[in-house]
Amino acid sequence: MEQAIHTTPIFWIIIAGYFVLILGFGSYFAKYNKNTNDFFFSGRRFSWWLITMSIVATGVGSHSFLKYSAKAFEHGFSSTMTYMNDWFFLPFFLFGWLPIVYYTRIRSIPDYFERRFNRNVRILATIAILGYMIGYIAIGFLTMGKTLEPLLGWDLYTIVWVVAIVAGIYITFGGQTAVIFTDLAQGFVLIFAGLLVFILGINYLGGFDIFWNALPADFKLPLAHFNKPSNFNFVGIFWQDGVAGSVGFLFMNQGLIMRFMATKSVNEGRKAAAFNILFLLPISTVVVSNAGWIGKAISIVTPEKWDTAIKLDHVFTQVASLVTTSEVVFAFIIAAVVAALMSTVDTLINAVAAVVINDIYRPIVKDRDDKHYLHAAMVISAGATLLGVVAVTFFDNFPTLYEAHGFFHSTMTPPLVIAIFLGIFWKRYTTLAAVATFLVGAVLMWLGNKYPAGLIGPFDHGIEMDVTHPYTYIRALYNTLVCLVSGVVFSFIFTRKVEVKIEIFTAKVVSNAKAHLHSTDSPVSAFGKVYYTLIWGFANMINSFVLNAASDEKLDGITVWTLDKAREMFKGSKPNDVPGEEPVVHWKIEASSDSYVRFSHMQMKEMAANVGDLVYLSDKRRWLGGLKSVHSVYAEPHDEDGVVYMTPDLIDAGLLVEGRALRAEKEM
Amino acid sequence: MHELTFFRTWLPVIYLYVAGGIIFLAGMTIIVKSKSLKLDRPMHKRWFYVLLFGYFYYLGIHTFLTYAALNF
Repeated sequence: MEQAIHTTPIFWIIIAGYFVLILGFGSYFAKYNKNTNDFFFSGRRFSWWLITMSIVATGVGSHSFLKYSAKAFEHGFSSTMTYMNDWFFLPFFLFGWLPIVYYTRIRSIPDYFERRFNRNVRILATIAILGYMIGYIAIGFLTMGKTLEPLLGWDLYTIVWVVAIVAGIYITFGGQTAVIFTDLAQGFVLIFAGLLVFILGINYLGGFDIFWNALPADFKLPLAHFNKPSNFNFVGIFWQDGVAGSVGFLFMNQGLIMRFMATKSVNEGRKAAAFNILFLLPISTVVVSNAGWIGKAISIVTPEKWDTAIKLDHVFTQVASLVTTSEVVFAFIIAAVVAALMSTVDTLINAVAAVVINDIYRPIVKDRDDKHYLHAAMVISAGATLLGVVAVTFFDNFPTLYEAHGFFHSTMTPPLVIAIFLGIFWKRYTTLAAVATFLVGAVLMWLGNKYPAGLIGPFDHGIEMDVTHPYTYIRALYNTLVCLVSGVVFSFIFTRKVEVKIEIFTAKVVSNAKAHLHSTDSPVSAFGKVYYTLIWGFANMINSFVLNAASDEKLDGITVWTLDKAREMFKGSKPNDVPGEEPVVHWKIEASSDSYVRFSHMQMKEMAANVGDLVYLSDKRRWLGGLKSVHSVYAEPHDEDGVVYMTPDLIDAGLLVEGRALRAEKEM
Repeated sequence: MHELTFFRTWLPVIYLYVAGGIIFLAGMTIIVKSKSLKLDRPMHKRWFYVLLFGYFYYLGIHTFLTYAALNF
């Protein structure tokens, strides 16, 4: 491919400089990682505002600028649909999944499946989640390739390979604190860069009136046509993105879950999510789409300036190049987008390594030192990168990134989404029903893919079937329904009582088959050996799926109906919810091998706290967002008002500075 | 470009807030019934209103933008 946009060495120096700067920023904060809890979850210490800004980069940074600019150019303001339909699931998230994740301290989604069901369901969930993340990595690579294609003039796959190698280098910087702070910086930069393109674009056109009046009414409607065309229609995108995508992002994104677990409390996590959806998503949608709207207006107002041969996925790069008069500004915008993409892909590669190590490798290869697992993680990261590059070929078959991503969401998310949802919100959902959601659901989804007209057609809401890519979006409705029906029907057939009976029965069959196979009194024939081996294997498999099926006690704390239990388990005793004040105190060290804090009698009264309650202490300077803070337990009070006695481990873990006052909050 | 029929203009808005509204209402009902959201606690009551506000806030945005596209 020929280079469509010409650049000078200054452009590439700025790109490299930006990368160095952002990596330096992240690695500076990586020093705050004291242990693995810090590394993965940042010690559960941050304020909502810090987390909400870092979430912006997670959502916006990944593939958004290119795919939304392309659709915005083609279809107008309705490109905003996908950012403006997340609120419907918020009650489920804020008061369902978020407190469960936080209070049960689950480390991954497969970990939840093991606690809710058993080890085999965990394995199924692990496979599904790995497929989801590797698909995401592939889309990230493809996006980066498409961003750089018109700048480098290289073949797309050459760029993808180069990007994959750079991602491998980038991955050595890490830890959740570093990611949070890198994303915090990039959240601001991305919003600034996107709005800058909009302002420069309006200026380029000669004012907002010219921009607004140039565009037809159809282009300015915020939602697409109900069911036309097949590659961009409202109802398909509602089910693909508003339902499967929203739930996928809120409930299945390991990176996002780890971000919420880094907040200092569940309430801070709620604030971060609500603020993000209420205020930052409407801004973000303008940030990622406006290049398409500006591009369309330019193509109408000054058609001679617009390259009509341009590929849709290159609209963003083309508009950024046109409206920025200086190469420095253009380089800054491209660097911000590419670095954010790199950060998203990097987070996903790390998440794949974490899931493989914790959910597959460690249970098989036990009791090795950390160095061994670290080395294995590096090999797995390289493997995930390679798989991501290979999967690019599949997604490159779609006309645009938007459609590739739409198909991916419609296909990969429904089984996991339904299994997580029923697991959290429906107590009667059983282990075999969860297995059916994955396996029977997958078979029915495959049949839908094979016979789209007959199976997905009845749900198409009048959308015309595109023979090359049938029902890219509305298949999400069919896929979600078949997984849901599988889960519900199997829950009614294989109730918990039935599962217990199956467990006993299959255990007997296994033991009988074993006895026949090993009998010396009456040895079985060759045919009998095959027969009993098959019986043994099949019964063993069924038994392993129903083994330790969920009992009422096992559900404690892991469904929305038993959340009080989760809080009690988190604290270790009954929570104290009496509201209290938040005094400012100075700390003094008290040598002890235990870990605790001691306040004065008066301040315990102010905080309405009792010995054994949980407390959060943070540096008084709120702008630090909890970077210097620690959680602990109240011990026996003293009589020195305004002073808190803390053990040395807490001073160290909280990164507390001598002489700096602390704010104390009773947690529960 | 499409003609400005009901399918192009207001039907998507209605579908979004009816279908989305059913999901939202189901969520609100479950969290209240399960006592995950306890309406007798002041902080939870505030969250109840924030959740309701968010639904109508987005309904307002989409209604306004549709009206503005058709009339200005």
